[in-house]
Amino acid sequence: MLAQEHATEHAAAGKFDAGETIIEHVSNSSIDHPLIHLPKVFGIDLSVTKHVFMLWLVAAIVFVLVTTIVRRYLKSGRQVPTGPMNALEAIVTWVRDDIVQPNVGKKWVGTWTPLILTFFIFILCSNAIGLIPLFEVVALLDRAILHSSPDSFLGRVIHGGTTATANFNVTAALATITFGAIIVAGSKAHGFVKHWMNLVPHGLAWPIYILLIPIEIMGLFVRPFALTMRLAANMTGGHIAILAILSFVFLFAEMFGSALAGVGVGLVVSVPLAVGISTLEIIVVLVQAYVFTLLTAVFIGMAINVHH
Amino acid sequence: MNNPLVQVDPGLYIWTILTFLVLLTLLAKFAWRPLLQSLAAREETIRKSLADAEKARVELERLNQQSEAIIRQARVEGEQIIGASRADAERLRGELREKARAEADGIIKNAERQIQLETARALQQIRNEAADLSVAIASKLIKKNITREDNDKLIQEALSQLSVSKN
Repeated sequence: MLAQEHATEHAAAGKFDAGETIIEHVSNSSIDHPLIHLPKVFGIDLSVTKHVFMLWLVAAIVFVLVTTIVRRYLKSGRQVPTGPMNALEAIVTWVRDDIVQPNVGKKWVGTWTPLILTFFIFILCSNAIGLIPLFEVVALLDRAILHSSPDSFLGRVIHGGTTATANFNVTAALATITFGAIIVAGSKAHGFVKHWMNLVPHGLAWPIYILLIPIEIMGLFVRPFALTMRLAANMTGGHIAILAILSFVFLFAEMFGSALAGVGVGLVVSVPLAVGISTLEIIVVLVQAYVFTLLTAVFIGMAINVHH
Repeated sequence: MNNPLVQVDPGLYIWTILTFLVLLTLLAKFAWRPLLQSLAAREETIRKSLADAEKARVELERLNQQSEAIIRQARVEGEQIIGASRADAERLRGELREKARAEADGIIKNAERQIQLETARALQQIRNEAADLSVAIASKLIKKNITREDNDKLIQEALSQLSVSKN
């Protein structure tokens, strides 16, 4: 409906709206036009939108890839890694030895490495899949050859951004898991009650506690909030920059009333700039996955090894 | 809140948590835990292999040193043996020479004494025989009735003989 409205709006105005187009490409598909309609549970619409679909797609890819590689390696019975196992092993040992162990300590490495590894691989792949114009290619095919109806699955899946981690609902959910992991880690290491007592240093004068307890409680929520915003904003920002630069093509074409002007600007300015920013995005994709993972490990480590 | 970029979507939030937890459970069970175990086992193997190699190296070093010491000792002993046997041979040769000389001297002395003895005996024998002969001659002369002339003649002969023998 919304897309149709946009289409009619565009047709009526006959003008290219860069803002609208960019938002359409980075935001989730409209909840009113989900890929799969599901009933509301307790007033929450559980319909599968584009970003839910992307999460599933990434989860499936990650699971199949990782499990296949690991199974093949374990089944070979040899301790020498081959092919893709080398890459996976490099990631696994790096996460274990350089992210988890320095933060949570030797005793808890085995407990928390799977969570941190899953965070890293899942976020990394979710970030990275946003750099691949998968659905743009599908949309092109659809427009040129398939002509599927806007109400079909294919017609719906080509709407909305592909980077699920650019949606702060997704990153908030991931940060919630970090939040839960911190509590579980503290409770496992010190007991549930002791974990909450550990939030503030012991043995201070009581007036300080009046100040300290609210600050620590705020800190409790600020950390996951920062994780949420950092990841979502970083994933959105680069995409918006690339899309804005690519919009020049259409803006100039419109401005000069000729497609040639648009193509010229595209070749000279937009594509080189977009390539540059995409290169930056590759770094951002890696760094943000790393930062989220590292901070989660740091927070878990802080709950386990309490220093004040 | 019409901007889709900041739209609150509890469904997506719940789906994300569910998806992630399911992925975490599956990966932990089928990939991470077996893999981490295998990596730890391999690290243990590598550590043990390295320790074994180090031990073997030290042992080899020790054996090398030991065999070198043995060879050195053997060389020294060999030299000692050669030196000793050379000295022995020298001594033995000297002894043999001494002995041979002593024996030769003995033989020579013996022979000389023998010769002297034999000579003395021969002289004695000659002397005895001469005496016997003289006695026999004398007795023959006495038995025969010799004349004066004969007597003189005999005396003369004896005297001439004496003079001859004196010469």
